[in-house]
Formats: sequence, structure tokens, C-alpha cells
Amino acid sequence: MRSRYGLLSTTSAVILFILLEAFSIVLVVNRGVVQRYKVLGTVRSIESVVWARTSRIGSFFSLRPENERLAAENLQLRQQLARYETARKELDSLDRIIEPEFTYIGALVVRNSVNRQHNYLILDQGWKEGVEEGMGVVTSQGVIGVVGGVSRHYSYVFSVLSTDQTVSVKLAGSGAFGPMTWPGTDPGMTVLREIPVHIQSAPGDTVYSSGYSTLYPPDIPVGTVASAMVSQGSSQELTVRLFEDFRSLRHVYIVKNNRREELEELYEKVR
Amino acid sequence: MKKYGNILYLFLVFLLQLVLSDYVHMGPWLYLCLIPFLILNIPLQRSPHSVMLIAFGLGILLDILSDGVPGLNAFAAVMAAAPRRFFYRSLVNGDRQDRTEVLRISDVGTVKYLKFLAALTATYMAAYILLDCVSFRPAGFILAKFIVSTAASTALSLLLALPVRNQS
Repeated sequence: MRSRYGLLSTTSAVILFILLEAFSIVLVVNRGVVQRYKVLGTVRSIESVVWARTSRIGSFFSLRPENERLAAENLQLRQQLARYETARKELDSLDRIIEPEFTYIGALVVRNSVNRQHNYLILDQGWKEGVEEGMGVVTSQGVIGVVGGVSRHYSYVFSVLSTDQTVSVKLAGSGAFGPMTWPGTDPGMTVLREIPVHIQSAPGDTVYSSGYSTLYPPDIPVGTVASAMVSQGSSQELTVRLFEDFRSLRHVYIVKNNRREELEELYEKVR
Repeated sequence: MKKYGNILYLFLVFLLQLVLSDYVHMGPWLYLCLIPFLILNIPLQRSPHSVMLIAFGLGILLDILSDGVPGLNAFAAVMAAAPRRFFYRSLVNGDRQDRTEVLRISDVGTVKYLKFLAALTATYMAAYILLDCVSFRPAGFILAKFIVSTAASTALSLLLALPVRNQS
């Protein structure tokens, strides 16, 4: 009787073990961030207060370099604006309204991770401010990630510093493009693959976003080529040193592609 | 009263784990985890079923509160909890299964305690790192991360076990 009870107990423990492990693997495979946002709204709202406060304390200590960076960016934007104003005046005579392809929502990073295999950011802008899932996130110094989940006042971003995220980028000069991924070690380095062997590239060449997706605008400087090596004899693998320091990331822009629906409709039609 | 003091202590250890996961940037080569230490501190009398369920609860709570990949810590915690009794019998070789107290360094000695803790931590790290890195990372990286993370987490857990030793 005792041995029968022992056998039953062992069998049920094995079944419980299999069930718990299977459930965990299902959770890992379906990284349901959005679902978690809906289910754990209360937990999120309590955590958000802590993040916002710790973020404010952190930002106090990095005010000076951040202000300098923003001032430089502001100057660059003012110069661009002046050029666009001139162009717009000329176009006004054609009585044509130009809708920009991309519009931006400024956001502050309240939480950021760089030491995991799948990193993320949390921004202080949510659906109330017009943020939607699938929007890209950029800075003037690089692409940051994709919005994966949105709550009322916050959004969860899958960082490009994730081993399963890919960004389409191109090389300055030749215009050769390929997928850029993070190999998972140094948060300052990524790898650009599938560059044809005949394309010449030298250390220091700038890498830009290609614009071949609805997520990121083209021509955002991402980084510079650090080194190149031939991979499997058919293409080059370039190591890219990123311009953006993800460890001290504070201000970002969420990108709204105003022609995204039109493009997606077109894809659907030809599919 | 002593029981509540122990629960409070383990709660503080869990909070420390949250701080480590959320605010301490350790780089890709190191993962510091105290969940194996918490699993070790579950009373010895508990059945394997309840140990696995508690471990799963701790893991999933850590996954949710630290915004990790949901299920990763839960998977590793159950993997470490399942052979807990086997490790205890083979490494500590004590006669305390029928008692409700948690295992302390003062009861079994530092070497046996360390062996038990290291076995739990190594199992946890093997499961966690393999599930997190497999197919993405080279074997050398996985092995290095496993060794560094197991050694560092075991050392930190041992350090945390010392106040418990002084209490008893």
C-alpha cells in the first residue's frame, strides 16, 4: 500500500513537472507583452509611478550632457526647418498641400534594459498621446526599436538590442543594404549582414537606415563600420559601431508613418 | 515569531533580486539570480509538488515584475526545484526530511551547504541560459555565461545565508 502511494506520488510529481515546464515554454515562445499589459494593468500603473520617479532622479544627474545633445539637435533641426520653409513658400504657389510621410511624438525613456538577450524600453507616452503598436522609435543618432505594447500613458518598446530584432540599413556611398542585427554581447556594436563581396567598405563608413520598411524613416545615421569580414564566401559581414549609447538613452521620438495603411493595403493587394 | 522573521528575510531577498534584475546592469556574460537560494530555503518537509509550485510562482513573479521574457525564470525555477530532494539526499545526506525547519549552514556545515546550493544554482542557470541563448549564441558564450553566473550567484547566495547562520 505504501509503495503504491509512493509510486502515485512520484508519477503525479512527474506530471506536474512536465505541465509546469510545458506552460513555461509556451509563455517563452509567445512573448505576449500586450496581453500582459491588459491583464496586469494595476501592477503596471503602480510600477509606472516608481519608474517615473527613479527616472526623474536619474535624469537630474545627466542633465548637462543631455541638454548639450538636445541643443545640438535643436540647432540642426532649425537649419533644416529654415530650408523647408523656403521650399514650402515656393510650393505654396502651386496650391498644393504636402502631408509629411512621417510625424513624430517626443517621449522620455522611463525604463531601459541593455544587459539581456531581449532588451526593452518603456516610454512615457501611451495610446492617449496617439502611440500605436508597430510604430518605430528613433533618435537623431539611430534607430531604437519597435513599439510592442501600449497602455494609457506608457508604451513598451522591443529594443533593437534584441537578438531577434532586425533593422534594414544601408551603407553610405554605395547604397548597398542589408539586415542589421544585434549579436547579443556589446550594446554598442551590431552586425550588418548580406552585403555583397564586391561592395567596398572601409572602417569609418557611415551606416544609415534604409527606409525599406514602414517603421523607420530613411537616412537616419545609425553608426559607422568598425570592421568587415567575408562570410561563407558569398557576402560580407560588417561590424557596426552604433552612434547611440543605449545606456544613457533619455529622449526618443516615436515615428508615425502617415502612409503606412496605404502601403499595407498595397502589399495586401499584390500578395 | 521566528517563522515570520524568516519569511520577511526571504521577502527581502526577493526584493533584492528585483533590484538586481531591474536596476543593475551586469552585462551579457553574467546573470545574478537568488531564486535557487529561495528554493533552498523552502522548508525541507514540503513535498516535491509544493516545492515545484512555489518555485514556479517565484519564477513567474520575477518574470512579470522585472519585465523579462515571461516563463524563462519560471522554467528554470521548476527545473531546479524538481531534483531538490535528490540533491539533498546525495549531497547533504541528512536526516531532516521530516522536519519543518529550513536548512541552515550551522546544521550541516559550510561545505555541504555550499554543495547543495551550488547544485541548485547550476541546475537553474543551465536551464535559464540554455532556454535564453540556445540557437542564438555560440556554445563558448553559453558555457562562459553558465560558469560565471553560477559562481557569482552561488557566492552571493552564500553571503546572504550568513545572517541566517548567525540568527540560529
